[in-house]
Amino acid sequence: MSFAVAFFVVLAFMICGVFIAAVLDAFFYRWLAGRSGATLLTPLYAAAAELSRQRLTTEAPDRMNWFLSISGFLALGAIGLAVVPLGPQSAVIGIETSVVLWGACESLVVVLVFLHGWSPNSPLALIGAYRYVAIGLPVMLLSMFVLIAAALPAESLDLRAIVISQEGLWNVIRQPLGLPLFLLLGLSLTLRGPLDYGDSADLAGGTSIEDSGANRAGWQVARLAMLVGFSAVAASAFLGGYLGPVLPGIVWLALKTLTVMAVIIAMGHLLARMPVARMLGLIWKVLLPIAFLDLLLAGLVALP
Amino acid sequence: MGMNWLAKIAGLAEVPVFVAIGEGAPSDTASSLCKNPALRSVETPRAAAILLVVGTIPDALLPQLHRLHDQLPHPRATVLWHSGNRLSEATTVGGREDIGASLKDTHKGLLAGSLATEPDILPDVPPNEWRGIGPHGQGGKGMMGGTPYGRPMAMTAADLRDGLELDAYTADFGPFLPMFPSGLALTLTLQGDVIQSVAVVHPPFENHENRGWVLLNLMGLPALAERMLRASNFSNPTLHRIIRLSGARAAIPKGLGRTHDGSDVRTRFDLLTDTSNPALNLHVHQTGLDDLLIGLEWHEAMLVLNSFDNASLRAICANTSASEPSSMEDSMDHGAHAGHMS
Repeated sequence: MSFAVAFFVVLAFMICGVFIAAVLDAFFYRWLAGRSGATLLTPLYAAAAELSRQRLTTEAPDRMNWFLSISGFLALGAIGLAVVPLGPQSAVIGIETSVVLWGACESLVVVLVFLHGWSPNSPLALIGAYRYVAIGLPVMLLSMFVLIAAALPAESLDLRAIVISQEGLWNVIRQPLGLPLFLLLGLSLTLRGPLDYGDSADLAGGTSIEDSGANRAGWQVARLAMLVGFSAVAASAFLGGYLGPVLPGIVWLALKTLTVMAVIIAMGHLLARMPVARMLGLIWKVLLPIAFLDLLLAGLVALP
Repeated sequence: MGMNWLAKIAGLAEVPVFVAIGEGAPSDTASSLCKNPALRSVETPRAAAILLVVGTIPDALLPQLHRLHDQLPHPRATVLWHSGNRLSEATTVGGREDIGASLKDTHKGLLAGSLATEPDILPDVPPNEWRGIGPHGQGGKGMMGGTPYGRPMAMTAADLRDGLELDAYTADFGPFLPMFPSGLALTLTLQGDVIQSVAVVHPPFENHENRGWVLLNLMGLPALAERMLRASNFSNPTLHRIIRLSGARAAIPKGLGRTHDGSDVRTRFDLLTDTSNPALNLHVHQTGLDDLLIGLEWHEAMLVLNSFDNASLRAICANTSASEPSSMEDSMDHGAHAGHMS
């Protein structure tokens, strides 16, 4: 697959993915809340309503970083999708260190969410920003352990090689602790449910409290784009990516991405969020040791 | 022409409404609004097209209402419902009228341009004049502290927990913040998100609303919160099962917000999400907000505030010792930060 074809496939994948994620989210929320009346176009109507309102600014905001945080977040989701192999040897960003590039994207999300809370010069937004960093850092550590474990059987940091290494057995079975821990990262990167410490209801929207009009729509789209990018990476690292019988590889990748996306959305609506100090204790004292155990087991299995 | 099709599509969306609750608002306001399919209640005025004032905002809180109004993006409108307030250009809707239809019409009118957007109520100038106190005129020390032009600034102070010198920030929060019981306005000093001091500016309005749904919302479960609001009786077994499986109870730290009668947020959460014993019979005499909130992080503090029934919270506010403003803060207005805090 040439670069140009791969690029347009990824672009179409992202646009469809964002739309499907928004629809899934709206339908799941309404089903759970017992509210009727959702249609496939509900997210589009909401986006149009946002875009028809003024983009307000606060007193003395950091305008450049406000814009950078929203556009950068969108770009990171797109990079996540671009490192995902669409078939053997075909990825838009096909480099031998694609796992490292994705790891850098994860870390930059922490920086950008912080900037998003910093920029409006508003107290509740800033609290959301600092809180996200406090939780985001240990969650990144957790994901690094899990990703290195996934890379061990392939003996490569190339996501293409990691997918090929799952031809016999998917990582989700070989390393059963990996995917559940990685899904927690997904909740944190997309600011959802139990790990939404940036934009939560106790801060009346946290880092996005001052967003209006196009800025609000942009931030929501960026969150959905990150959900698509993350889900595709998770599908490739743990569910064999494009591998599968009969259907074309890209269809398998889309189906697996959709599955991960649906699980993240469901977890986001069904699991309660605990206060920050309690969550920090849980991550450092329980989840990180489990992630290290995952890495240890993967290393022992991968030893020749 | 370009805007016409966007306005038409936008007119099909649920109307984003920021609800400001006043005195005398019906206790089922949140429930009746969420059952209306044409509306969506939003958590910040920046996301709203319409400011819906339910009940009457007392004169003492009108400055906060005006500030809230000016934070809505254009095009915007104000609708008064069950309200004795008079705001220029606001539409008044009677208690028996269909609020959903009125808001939908107002929203469509705004989008089509047939209804003019409301101008600011307050002038676009700093709330306070420059005061020549301190070396930089802001009333603090050095480059920090004070309230320059009426905007509170952080100032270093010893942290309660470890004595480190951290930035302390004093400002007014409420009375329309969605995570505060309606009417409650507090002057809080924060270091990071840890509450260092608390004083009551305005107690919550009398209201008999069950705040169980707010606790669920605060724990990141807005869909379950809405389901609880919609439920005709809270003893719905499916709802209980989902709430139990969500881990909401376990997410609340044990002993959080304990009062003298031994009850904590967990036990109050159980009562609020279960109508088999809906009457909270708490003994909160001698308990003040300062006893409950000081030293807590923001999220924990919000859980504590919303775990009480209205009468108990009003009693707790009455028990709270009055603030002792330092000479630096004396007569300074803490409430005028540029961001959404009221």
